[in-house]
Amino acid sequence: MSAEPALLLLTEVAKAIAEKRFSSREVTQSCLNRIKAWQPRLNAFMAIEADEALTAADTADATLAKGEGGGALHGVPLAHKDMYYDAGKVVTCGSKIRRDFVATTTSTALQRLKDAGSVRLGSLQMVEFAYGPTGHNFHYGAVHNPWVFGHITGGSSSGSGSAVAARLTFAALGSDTGGSIRLPAHFCGVTGLKTTCGRISRAGAMPLSQSLDTVGPLARSAEDCALLLGLMAGADPDDPTAIAGPVPDYMAATRGSIKGLRIGVPNAFYVDDLDSEVARVLDETIAALKREGASIVQVELPDQRQLTAACQLVLATEAAAFHKRWLIERPQDYGPQVLMRLQNGLAIPGVSYLEAMRWRGPALAAHLASVAAVDAVIAPVAPVAAPTIAESDVGNSPDAEAVIQRLTRFTRPINYLGLPSLSIPSGFTRSGLPVGMQLIGRSFDEAMLLRIGAAFQRATDFHARVPKSA
Amino acid sequence: MTKPTPKQIHAIVDAAGVPVSAEVATRIANSIGPAFEGFAAVAGTLPFDLEPATFLLVQAGKASK
Repeated sequence: MSAEPALLLLTEVAKAIAEKRFSSREVTQSCLNRIKAWQPRLNAFMAIEADEALTAADTADATLAKGEGGGALHGVPLAHKDMYYDAGKVVTCGSKIRRDFVATTTSTALQRLKDAGSVRLGSLQMVEFAYGPTGHNFHYGAVHNPWVFGHITGGSSSGSGSAVAARLTFAALGSDTGGSIRLPAHFCGVTGLKTTCGRISRAGAMPLSQSLDTVGPLARSAEDCALLLGLMAGADPDDPTAIAGPVPDYMAATRGSIKGLRIGVPNAFYVDDLDSEVARVLDETIAALKREGASIVQVELPDQRQLTAACQLVLATEAAAFHKRWLIERPQDYGPQVLMRLQNGLAIPGVSYLEAMRWRGPALAAHLASVAAVDAVIAPVAPVAAPTIAESDVGNSPDAEAVIQRLTRFTRPINYLGLPSLSIPSGFTRSGLPVGMQLIGRSFDEAMLLRIGAAFQRATDFHARVPKSA
Repeated sequence: MTKPTPKQIHAIVDAAGVPVSAEVATRIANSIGPAFEGFAAVAGTLPFDLEPATFLLVQAGKASK
């Protein structure tokens, strides 16, 4: 076991605190030490609450000393994307408009992690209003990739990806509407779970697109994601879209073998126009899954370009509707790129939006039919590893939409279909940048993805590698 | 709808109550044009009885054949 508790996995540190091998204060201080060293270069945190965190850690230790506090995350320090409402705390949503917004409620997902005993370290940076795939933020600056400074983290959960990779927090909530969990997970070398629409309540999470928004974790392993998903999933009276019914035992799923499972590899689109190093990592990942006993089967998916287009019509329209009042009253307070993209949604006719919504059912049915013979599909998260912050700083230039489209090409179809997808660290480029692959499953079958992801991580060490010191 | 022109964009956005300049209308047309083009094969082809909630039925495995 590591002498530096901040380097442990979430599941390991939770067990170590419960068994009193580390106190919550020792663990929290370890994270704060790393935050102090890394934050000046990463810009991953929006707010650091060191004193409050240590006080909460002491309370957790005192509770444990009395034989109380049996929560699965008792005393574990965490920080989350700054869009999860936490009553009494400022929640900026990465924006100037909400710079001083104090939440009056606490999001259901966050509350469930608190109920399990977690300690708040602060809040994490994000793209303004979660509307951008690179990690730039006009108001608060870009977040840096801890593997190679000067490269993007991906977005919109930029701080979550960066902070988990640098071992500043054991895990972090992100949100995924067009790729915002999977892209930072891919670019930063962490494990990220985009959940099925309806799997986790969105109550108290900043909205971007009510049809596409999903809540999910970025963490250091599939097992860590399984623990967090099990705590957050399930019905919620405050969000009627969160489905009822029993929550599967996701931790048990991670212990399963993948021998005999069938994993599909798309014969087109997801394998087209890949950077050579991403293509190499895809091949190596497939080979590793084969060695673990899975069968690899080629699958022919429906036209993914139509899904991408439909996703854009839905996302742009719903985002513009949420922001319309501020677009009228405070357009000058948006960053240029976010303003541009919100304005795009104003121009989509209602009939076009509703056609895109009406097609969602048949499109999902066609997809499920195409993958009926496999347990999951594997594909790259993005066609490239992390570009530099400078080269992807396109603002509202004529090139902006093309850059965004290129980065989100492999993530948006999955959002439109509402499917779960697990991004797992799968290799590195020669220049030391991480590359992730996404496992795409059937609706509400996160357990299968976690099972495959955990088996892959037992056979490889990409998820366990830590960026060099700040 | 096929790819909208800047002139059409100008009118739609104006009707939405958030007027934009001709320059911005042109930029919007260029940005969202590919989405309309990508969706063109589907637009105008959907059956009469199809409604958005069908998605939830398919997701739950309860859609009728």
